[in-house]
Amino acid sequence: MCRKWRSIIAIIGILMLGLVLPTEAYAHGVNIEYTSNVEIEIIARYDTGTPMAGAQVLVYAPSDLSTPWLTGVCDEEGRFSFAPDTSQPGIWDVKVRLAGHGGIIHIPIGGDATVMDGSGGFSHLQIGLMAACVVWGSVGTALYFSRRRRT
Amino acid sequence: MKKRSLVPVIILSILAIVLASCTGGGATGKLQFYANGEDFVRQGFVSKDGWSISFDHVYITLSDITAYQTSPPYDPNSGNDIDGKVTVALDEAYTVDLAEGGEDAPPILVDEISDVPVGHYNAISWKMAKAISGPAAGHSLVVIGTAEKDGQSLDFTINIDEECEYQCGEYVGDARKGILEKGGTADLEMTFHFDHIFGDAELPPDDELNLAAVGFQPFADGAKAASVLNMTEMHLGHVGEGHCYCECH
Repeated sequence: MCRKWRSIIAIIGILMLGLVLPTEAYAHGVNIEYTSNVEIEIIARYDTGTPMAGAQVLVYAPSDLSTPWLTGVCDEEGRFSFAPDTSQPGIWDVKVRLAGHGGIIHIPIGGDATVMDGSGGFSHLQIGLMAACVVWGSVGTALYFSRRRRT
Repeated sequence: MKKRSLVPVIILSILAIVLASCTGGGATGKLQFYANGEDFVRQGFVSKDGWSISFDHVYITLSDITAYQTSPPYDPNSGNDIDGKVTVALDEAYTVDLAEGGEDAPPILVDEISDVPVGHYNAISWKMAKAISGPAAGHSLVVIGTAEKDGQSLDFTINIDEECEYQCGEYVGDARKGILEKGGTADLEMTFHFDHIFGDAELPPDDELNLAAVGFQPFADGAKAASVLNMTEMHLGHVGEGHCYCECH
């Protein structure tokens, strides 16, 4: 009985070893790795479909709306590529101009692709803190005036 | 309740005020509105059909001028109305002379508003409306000037009665406009491209702009503006080089 179990265990061990070890090594194998980069390609054309070859390109990151993050020129087909800094999520603006004609495109990058509005820019934490202050103040005031006077 | 229990309330209230002031809550600045006929109006130009045009006065009447902060940014190609999260409007109608000043004159300041919320005003709308009084009374656009060709000189006045509504996204030009910071001043521009009406001799005859323009010859022949101009198709109003959605009637 004991010998029988030893045999079964040995067979299972060999089978498992077969699963772990490579069964064959290819001299012409490939190794593919990847990194995740976001690349944006724009194609700028006139309404007629003519490419805006040589057009000036200005890229604005969400962190600085006034100063171009990148400048460049469209190729002969009106194409221009760039890899935005994904640590700056939001709307990336790309302006293309050539000989008195121009346009701007707004590209959302990342999860928080919203434009700052005129609300004053409070974060959720700040809004929460202020709301808590108001509630606490109201409750405190109510308790103060509703307290029982000692006789 | 003991006085001691009020201490946290006072502390938190002060904290809220400090937080609000540190983050610029309710921060404001000044927003200016300009109208610009560009060098075409200030310096004159040659139309697609060879008329050398100079302008004495270009009276345009603007009303319902409104600036917006939009998110997502407004796309004039959509033809939709602008949905602004923040809106700032001028209540009056203004008749301005786009030809005012010399050849190098700056754009015309229409008006300005103080104490408006900070942020990026990335859309604007306005109407080109008939003037009720003044030099352009009864018309939305009055163009007065002189045109010359082959030794012939014509003094002309072109009256346009169509009223147009323009809805535009962000200004496209050398600089970005409409970015208002606390205590600062930002400006927006309503730009008018008169080469879209008369064409431009510096462009090829088969350029899209020249194909769409009517030139000056019809006016030299005595045609009324209403018979040769469709202001919706002229796309007169822009934001710098940026196009606007336009409806005229």
